[in-house]
Amino acid sequence: MRPYRRRRIENLVAISLCTLSAAIGLFWLFFILIDVVIEGVGALNLALFLEDPVPAGLEGGGLRNAFVGQLLLTMVAALLGVPVGLLGGTFLAEYGRGSRIGRIISLLSDIMTSVPSIVIGTFAYAVLVKPFGHFNGWAGSFALALIMIPIIIRTTEEMLKLVPWELREAAFALGAPYYRVILSIVYRGAAPGILTGILLSIARVAGETAPLLFTSFNNTFFSVDMNEPVPSLTVTVFQYAMGPYENWHAQAWAASLVITLFILIITLLGRFIIFRRYGKWKTL
Amino acid sequence: MEDIVIDVQGLSFYYAGNIRALKDISLSIQANTVTAFIGPSGCGKTTFLRCLNRMHDLYSGNRYEGRILIDGRNILDKDVDLIELRSKIGMVFQKPTPFPMSIFENIAFGLRLIGIKNRTEISERVEKALKDAALWDETRDRLHKSAYSLSGGQQQRLCIARAIAVKPEIVLMDEPCSALDPIATGKIEDLITELKQDYTVIIVTHNMQQAARVSDYTAFFMMGELVEYDRTERIFTNPSNKLTEDYITGRFG
Repeated sequence: MRPYRRRRIENLVAISLCTLSAAIGLFWLFFILIDVVIEGVGALNLALFLEDPVPAGLEGGGLRNAFVGQLLLTMVAALLGVPVGLLGGTFLAEYGRGSRIGRIISLLSDIMTSVPSIVIGTFAYAVLVKPFGHFNGWAGSFALALIMIPIIIRTTEEMLKLVPWELREAAFALGAPYYRVILSIVYRGAAPGILTGILLSIARVAGETAPLLFTSFNNTFFSVDMNEPVPSLTVTVFQYAMGPYENWHAQAWAASLVITLFILIITLLGRFIIFRRYGKWKTL
Repeated sequence: MEDIVIDVQGLSFYYAGNIRALKDISLSIQANTVTAFIGPSGCGKTTFLRCLNRMHDLYSGNRYEGRILIDGRNILDKDVDLIELRSKIGMVFQKPTPFPMSIFENIAFGLRLIGIKNRTEISERVEKALKDAALWDETRDRLHKSAYSLSGGQQQRLCIARAIAVKPEIVLMDEPCSALDPIATGKIEDLITELKQDYTVIIVTHNMQQAARVSDYTAFFMMGELVEYDRTERIFTNPSNKLTEDYITGRFG
């Protein structure tokens, strides 16, 4: 019976190590989340959403400008990034399927998704801030769009490839031209997956700070002018957290909580769409 | 031999990499008949079927030699419009391939492709196609439900309805019953027999009883060659080639 005992011990060791590693990872995750919730909930109030910041050092005020600015930056980024990503992914999965150029673009997209976001921010600074001489919202949205595009390209490509090839053949056999096959058949089959990819890419950029630091920068006043610096929650959190005032810290916590909840909701929405379509909670 | 729809003359087909899959096939198919292609796996019967609507053109590197005359026109000519060709030749696949949309939309898709925009006409032709495919009674109350809510056999009949809704001349069927149970198979076989009143049907099948039941003519393929082509009852009762006889009687394959 000795060899069996040895196997049991080995098994026990392996399970313990795995469980321990998972616990270490989850501990910090929950630590951060719980901290954000505890500190953030205390600072949440209606004024946070309805009022703009008051001059430094004074009590009161809110972050209305940052909430609106964040939404504006994210929406413009989505308007720029979603069409490019969607069409790029379509090229890779359909017209460029199996071609050399398609494989190269696919590989480059994978590399792009892991480029540090601050590098993207510097690039946007070089092309859209430096030439104009001042920070502006377009540069911020452009940087966020650059982060979204490779994510959407790759998820769209993967989702389109999941649509069985036979479906395309069946449509071709009816005499459908390729663009109709893609628009009417392939997109329809892959829609939930593509939509989820888009939502996840929005969730991803909503939490980015680095690409906004030298592009849209920040603005303590309410502004929806994309040619000027546009306030954002993430940069505000960064600046308020570094600042010397107690009420800044509290507002930074509250803003962190709101961003976290926003990302959580978008992610859950994405999962929910997948669940409705495929009947199980699978991840991308 | 009158009223020939398809006249194949010396057809050879090469897959990418110059792999010869069909060798010098010649046969002619008459209007309003059912022709079965039989033979062991890899004999080229499906490859041949897919030459008839040039499905092979979807993949690069494939090459045809010889001529396929449909209504007197060589469809292998460079200037043939594949979209037009494929709307004249319907195809039904091995696995049911309903599109991810409603039952109604599945059929309307093909009708819109050929330029029908009038809603009343679309509804009428959807109904007609479903009746012709013996699916109307089962679907009339749920036309706007997803096509995936149908059973496998119903899905395959939907695909047949979709193919015939655009009134093709020829309907190609690539093992249309291989994914179905015997009852669904029986329904499709009845349907095939009905279809030949209006269409010329070509069916690839692994099932020799099926070939014997539904077809008027049978072509036996082996290793990319057409071994024998004759009236079905002759192929199954008194084949002239030893290979055909061995295959029919189950000595190989």
